[in-house]
Parts: sequence; structure tokens; C-alpha cells
Amino acid sequence: MDTKTLDSEIVEIHPKNGYLSAKELIAHRHSEFEPQSGGLKRTQNEGTAPELEELRRAQEQLRAQLSVPRIERLGGRALAIWNDEQKVAEVLRKDGKFENFGYSEQGRLYLEYYEAMFLLELGRLQLEYYGSVVSIEQAYVLLLGKLESEKYTNYLVYSALSRAGYIVVRHIPPEKTPEEVTSADCIWALLKETVGNEPVPDHIKTSPFYAVVEKRMEDIKELITSQKTEDSKITKESIDLEFDSRKRKANEKPIEEPPSKKEKLSIAGRSLVDQLKNEMSYSKLEEIFEKFDIIQLKSVDDTKEDTTELSSLKITFDLHLHNEGFKKSSPKPPTFNVIILPSQTSFPPHDEIAKIQNHHTAPLLVISVSESKQIQAFLYYIS
Amino acid sequence: MQFSFPCKRKRCFHKNVNYTPFPSCENGERHQGRFTGLSVEIIDPVQAKSLYDSGCFGKGSKSRGGPASGDEDETLLLGLEESCFLAYYLNTLEITNLAGSSMDFQVFLEAAKKLNERFVENLACYLYLKSKNWVIKSGIKFGGDFLIYKQSPRLYHASFLVIVQTSCDTDYYQSKNLKGVQRVAETSDKDVLLLTVHRPKDVLSPKVLQETTVTETIVRRFNYLTFVQSKQQ
Repeated sequence: MDTKTLDSEIVEIHPKNGYLSAKELIAHRHSEFEPQSGGLKRTQNEGTAPELEELRRAQEQLRAQLSVPRIERLGGRALAIWNDEQKVAEVLRKDGKFENFGYSEQGRLYLEYYEAMFLLELGRLQLEYYGSVVSIEQAYVLLLGKLESEKYTNYLVYSALSRAGYIVVRHIPPEKTPEEVTSADCIWALLKETVGNEPVPDHIKTSPFYAVVEKRMEDIKELITSQKTEDSKITKESIDLEFDSRKRKANEKPIEEPPSKKEKLSIAGRSLVDQLKNEMSYSKLEEIFEKFDIIQLKSVDDTKEDTTELSSLKITFDLHLHNEGFKKSSPKPPTFNVIILPSQTSFPPHDEIAKIQNHHTAPLLVISVSESKQIQAFLYYIS
Repeated sequence: MQFSFPCKRKRCFHKNVNYTPFPSCENGERHQGRFTGLSVEIIDPVQAKSLYDSGCFGKGSKSRGGPASGDEDETLLLGLEESCFLAYYLNTLEITNLAGSSMDFQVFLEAAKKLNERFVENLACYLYLKSKNWVIKSGIKFGGDFLIYKQSPRLYHASFLVIVQTSCDTDYYQSKNLKGVQRVAETSDKDVLLLTVHRPKDVLSPKVLQETTVTETIVRRFNYLTFVQSKQQ
């Protein structure tokens, strides 16, 4: 192994260890290391001699655990280089299933810091920094920063959720796209065009239904204008007409369309403890109950004024499930939005959650990272 | 993610199925309670039984639940919120002080506020939950303000541990406090219900509470591991 010093003298470095034999390699491939159980949890440092001794032993154990040689195949790893100017890891060679990692910019694939760190820890990535391989220890400093920061908690959460089996991606704010165009929308647009001379909007023209609907309307027009008797006989038996009539029926009542997705999802403004109002005892004595039913739920309208301002909460990640056909290029709405709560931070109160739910449709998962770096997820239900 | 509330029936079988949420006053006669400085005491055993059997109000002075010791000198002790509810909202209770003179809403409120500075907020939450047909007991043994039950503590386990917050004091949103009560509540299949009260400054009559509003928040611990595993099948 050769390196150049600042003086450009060639110094030869001999590795301290020799090469491992085949047997040793196999033995080290899956070395198990049992952590010592430490008895009861304690919350405060006492500074006593036995405690210091115990701490020293624990640290030694940790060091021993971390310095167990890891055996990995050199091949079968992706390769990335660290760009120190832009502070990003650029992927040079992909390996294996890589579709859920990284983001492309100007034809190059980059890894987020947490993705690079995660792949490094799994032994699936070789990160190089000015031509030399970065160790995991160095990568912690390089990717997550020297001081404990937001990046570190983000990485912890990313790693835990990825290992649990979620696809974790950087949060993408939902676009304010109109509702999906249905074939009914196409029919209405076409009718408006022919009857009212209104041009068909572009977002309807691009819908996959548009061409089909246009064709069918042409056919029907043809049918009506030509008035051939034999035609009607055939079409009566054909299944197509059955479908047709049913669709037409549905289109006659456009008001009955289900409310927008957002309305269906949001339960804001409703009490969560109303269940017992269905009981017999309530309906029998409803009058008495109503007499003192004077405290009301704070309605959503009261808070509406401040809903326009953005909440101080920040959604960091979106979670997707593996079996729902996730595609990086065209992500579906996520299963969860993740908010990360660093240790010592209070939980967001009702109004904060209400504000953020106004802008997002996926359920919020609040993940708290405790002082001991333990991760616990919480779900909010609010009125 | 739809919300479903925990509601577990108790194993022991009670024949008392006829559940009535409110005590009735026969011949317009109100129950007689004496404010002792800590709680309102019902001395007459017949009245005590009537209050406990219909609506599960109060607690026997010598029993865990309703008066059940059989001792003659056992009384029924009503909490501040429930006695206030019975006296000034249902009109089935008359509260007198130790000297024997009747206490009106204002006097009682002042006395209760001395014992608990958050009495008005607690009362607002009590009324809010009572109007939704819950049986409300003290939540002190689980570290909260109330425990709320379906029908009766004899028949069901409590569904929620209620914690009352004001809009300026959000103590229980602190990480360690919330996690603490959650763990305690979870071991007995309850959810933690945080009620935040927004209220006007002065309360002069029972009706003034009308301007008070509450918001409900339930924070539940979520096992992300089992969730993703259940979805993978």
C-alpha cells in the first residue's frame, strides 16, 4: 500500500495484520457478539469508583465489539465518491437492487447522506474520498458531521425504518393537482365543447380516457345520424351497449360523486369520544343530556384563520410500503408522513397537528428519538 | 387509519344490567350533601345508594368503589366536579357547608378553586364528557385527571385516561410526561385523551361555561414493525 506524504516522498506502509486463512475468513463472516446485560437502568451519574469501573468495562466491551474484523466481499458493492465541494456522494457504479436509493441530477446519481451511511453500514457501498476508501467511523464524521446534529437523528430514524421494511424517501410536499380526470369529466368537457363551444381543457385532453370517450361519442353520433334499423338490432344484443347505458346513467348524476379524497380522509372537527351516544341509555334520556351539553368542541372554523400560516413542524420523510409498487420517478401518495422529534422536545399540540394535517393527506407518524437513541413511533388522532 | 376506542368488558358477571345514567329525585326532594372541605359527603345511606346505583357517582368512604362495607357509618364521598354537576346542572343535590347553610354556585366554585386551581377547566371537561354519556371517575390512580367508563366501572374497564390541559399550560405534551402516562395507561388497555380547554376568564354562573371549548387529542404509541409486517402478508 503506497501513500504520498506532503514532501512527496514515497513511504511504504506494511499492514499490521497478515492475511486471513480460509478458515478464519469463514469464522469471521458471521461473528456474533453478545452484549453484556447491565442490570437495572440508572438515570444519574453518581461518580463513585465502582460506577467508573463499570463504565470503563462497558466502554472496553463496546470497543471490542466494534473492532471485531468484518469480512466482506470486495465485489458486490456499489461505488460512490465523495464530492467535498458539494458535500454529496456521487454513485459511480450501482450494484444489486438500487432503485429505491439516490436522486438524479443532470444525469448523475447522488446519494443522500443517510442513504450513503446506511448502505455503508450494510456493507453494500464503498465510499471513496480523494481515492482512498472511507471507513465507517470516518463516514460518520464525513456524512453526519462532527457534532451531534439533526442529520444524526435523521439517520437513526432512516436506518430503523428501512430495516423494519419501509421504503423511506425524503418528504415531497403533495402537489396541488386537481382530482384525477375520470371518463365522466371527459364526456362533460366534450359536451361543453360541442354544445357550448367551450374548448377542452388541457388536463382533460391528456387523460387516457379522452381518446376512448371521443371515439365512443363519434360512434354514437354516427349511429343516431345514420338511423339504420339493422344496426340497432345488433347493438341491442351487444354487451357494449349495456356498459354504455350504465355509464350514461352514472353520468346523469354527477352530484353523487364521492367527495374529494381529502374530505374523506380528514376527520377533523369531529369528536373521538362520541361512541356512547348510540347507547340505549342516551337515546332514552336525550333531553336531560342536552340540558348540560354546553361545552362544545372547538370547531375547525375557529382555527381556520391561522391555518394558512405554515406549521413549525417539519415533515422529514415519507414512508411507502414495499408491496404497493413504489416507483421513485412517480411516487404514489405515501403511507405515512414522518415528523422527527429530537429528545427533550415536547410533543406537538392539537393546533400544530391540525395545521399540518390541512396540507397533507397521509397519516402523520411522529417519531421520537430519546436521549438513549431509542426510537418510538406515535400516531395522532385529533378532533 | 381509523380510530377505534378501547372498550373491554369485565370478566365478573353482574346482574345489574339496568343502567341508568342519572339519579332521580323522588317527590322533588334533593339529595343532601355536606361540603367537608375536601369533598361532598352524603350521610343518608338510602340517598348514597341511589346516587351510586344510578350513574355511579361518588365513592364509599370505606370501600374501593360504591359503599359496600355494610358499616352503618359508611358515607358516600362525591368529588368536586361531580357534586358540582349534580347540584347546579342536574339539580338533584343540595350542598351545605359544615355550618349547615346552603352553598350556591359561586360559593362552591370559590371553595373548589381553593382546593384545585384548575377546577373550572376540570368541570368543563367533566360536563363535556358527561354529555357524551360517559361515567367519570377520578383518574388519580393512573396519574391523570379522570378515568372514563362505558356504563359502569363494574361492567367495563375504563376506556380512556383523561388529562386536562389549558391552552397555556401544555405540561403533558412534554415528552417524558406523555410517554409516562401512555405506558401506564397502555398496560391496562386505555388510551390517553388530552383535553385542552379554551375558556373565558370569569365564570359567574353555571351557564357561563357555554363559551368554553375543548379540543381532543389522542396520542397512541404505534408499533411500526408489526404494522409493516402485517402489510407484507
